[in-house]
Amino acid sequence: MTAAALIYLDYAATTPLDPRVAERMREVQSSAYFNPASNHVAGRQSARIVAEAAADLGALLNVEPASIIWTSGATESNNLAILGAAKQRAHRGRHLVTMRTEHKAVVDVFRALEKAGFDVTWLTPGPDGQLNLETFEAALRDDTQLVSIMQINNETGIVQDIEAIGRICRSRKILFHVDAAQAVGKVPVDVSALQVDLMSMTAHKFYGPKGIGALYVARGTALEPQMFGGGQQMRLRPGTLPVDLIAGLGAAAAVAVHRIDDDLENLVMLKERLWSGIRSIEGVSLNGSVRGTYPGILNVSIADIEGESLLLALEPLCVATGSACNSQSQEPSYVLRALGRSDQEAQSAIRFSLGRQSSKEDIDFAISAYRSAVRKLRSLAPGVAA
Amino acid sequence: MIEDPYNAVVRDNFAHPGHAGDVPGGAVGYFEDQGMRIRLSAGVAGGVLQRLRFRAWGCPHVLAACEEFCRQYEGRPATDLEEFETARIMEDLAVPVEKTGRILVLEDTVRSLGQAILDLTDTPQE
Repeated sequence: MTAAALIYLDYAATTPLDPRVAERMREVQSSAYFNPASNHVAGRQSARIVAEAAADLGALLNVEPASIIWTSGATESNNLAILGAAKQRAHRGRHLVTMRTEHKAVVDVFRALEKAGFDVTWLTPGPDGQLNLETFEAALRDDTQLVSIMQINNETGIVQDIEAIGRICRSRKILFHVDAAQAVGKVPVDVSALQVDLMSMTAHKFYGPKGIGALYVARGTALEPQMFGGGQQMRLRPGTLPVDLIAGLGAAAAVAVHRIDDDLENLVMLKERLWSGIRSIEGVSLNGSVRGTYPGILNVSIADIEGESLLLALEPLCVATGSACNSQSQEPSYVLRALGRSDQEAQSAIRFSLGRQSSKEDIDFAISAYRSAVRKLRSLAPGVAA
Repeated sequence: MIEDPYNAVVRDNFAHPGHAGDVPGGAVGYFEDQGMRIRLSAGVAGGVLQRLRFRAWGCPHVLAACEEFCRQYEGRPATDLEEFETARIMEDLAVPVEKTGRILVLEDTVRSLGQAILDLTDTPQE
């Protein structure tokens, strides 16, 4: 099936390259392929490109370019931030706090730390997906060293109150890490106003290339390196920098600075159109809410429908059951289970995620396909009138 | 995921479940397990399965297996049901081994249908 034949509503999994990003990367690949660590004129040319990209990303986040560490993506950023901070501060205490609804790239890192002897408190959100701040404060201890909370949930689009959580952490001198993979480049993120110490992001979620991400590290935040082998990036993340990918990330950031408001306005309209089109189907329920969540994600469950069959019946519509990282598993989403959804509700969940190229026609197709698929599967089920 | 998890037979059966429905007044077999639910109904005349229909709640492989069963057994002697095994359908549909239990729900439903046919003589036709 060609890309043209698909209706793509899986932008939370990945986004297409913006043409301006692709053009910038082609320029760099052909004219500035040099190692930016090389101490000659060509190397300095590549180093300037890296610096420009850091400036573009810094402008998007309102941070100093020097606070950005390049990584291979959000998974590596999460690993470096969480492992690096926990180990660096282990002599002060070994208590860590996170949520059950975090991405696997955070959950599995904390599980590894638990096996290494750290004490992790796993917070459960309310039925609306929000972290209760009183519950959060009550979980903090004198030996708590690190809190990690994602900004926008990749399955539900639920947005946490990062500013309030950051304020609490700062007042207790606890490091605060934010997995912002679904936020950066999609919603305004003013890191300087958020009292965040560490923030993970990745380019391919906001129309940049795959294979490049970044970790924001606030000044004075010490991390223990997790990789060794060179002196690049203050020895915190050694390895030759992929200049073309970094240039692509920088270009995506520069585009986002100018596009975020328009993108959001369009997404709000499309999400409301989508929800209006399917909400009247008997048994449909929303995981999250239409407002108060990121407008690029709509996650719905439906009674008495099998999720895998629903996904196949929706083709050529490209949507997700659970997170893309979990899509090969038929296990119900642990995120939705943490919100109190039943196995059947979680298993039937479909995540529609919209993006810059999504159109009204795409949404109308999705509404029609969803209604048709539900009608068909219900007509096949025993005990339900055809 | 590199390979399509569904082969052409699964895709065709899923897209065109021509045997979905009921045989009014026919013999009925029903079984549910592992979250799957299958109902088979048959119209039998002269010991032959004149009409076979299914209803099912399950994954695409289960729905396709039900359709495949109906396609393969319609027109055959009802006594053939006694020898039904899922192996051939598993192979025809390239069912992944982890879904074996789900397809066995079909086998149990076929057994239930066979017993229901024994309990009846000739059943009415539409």
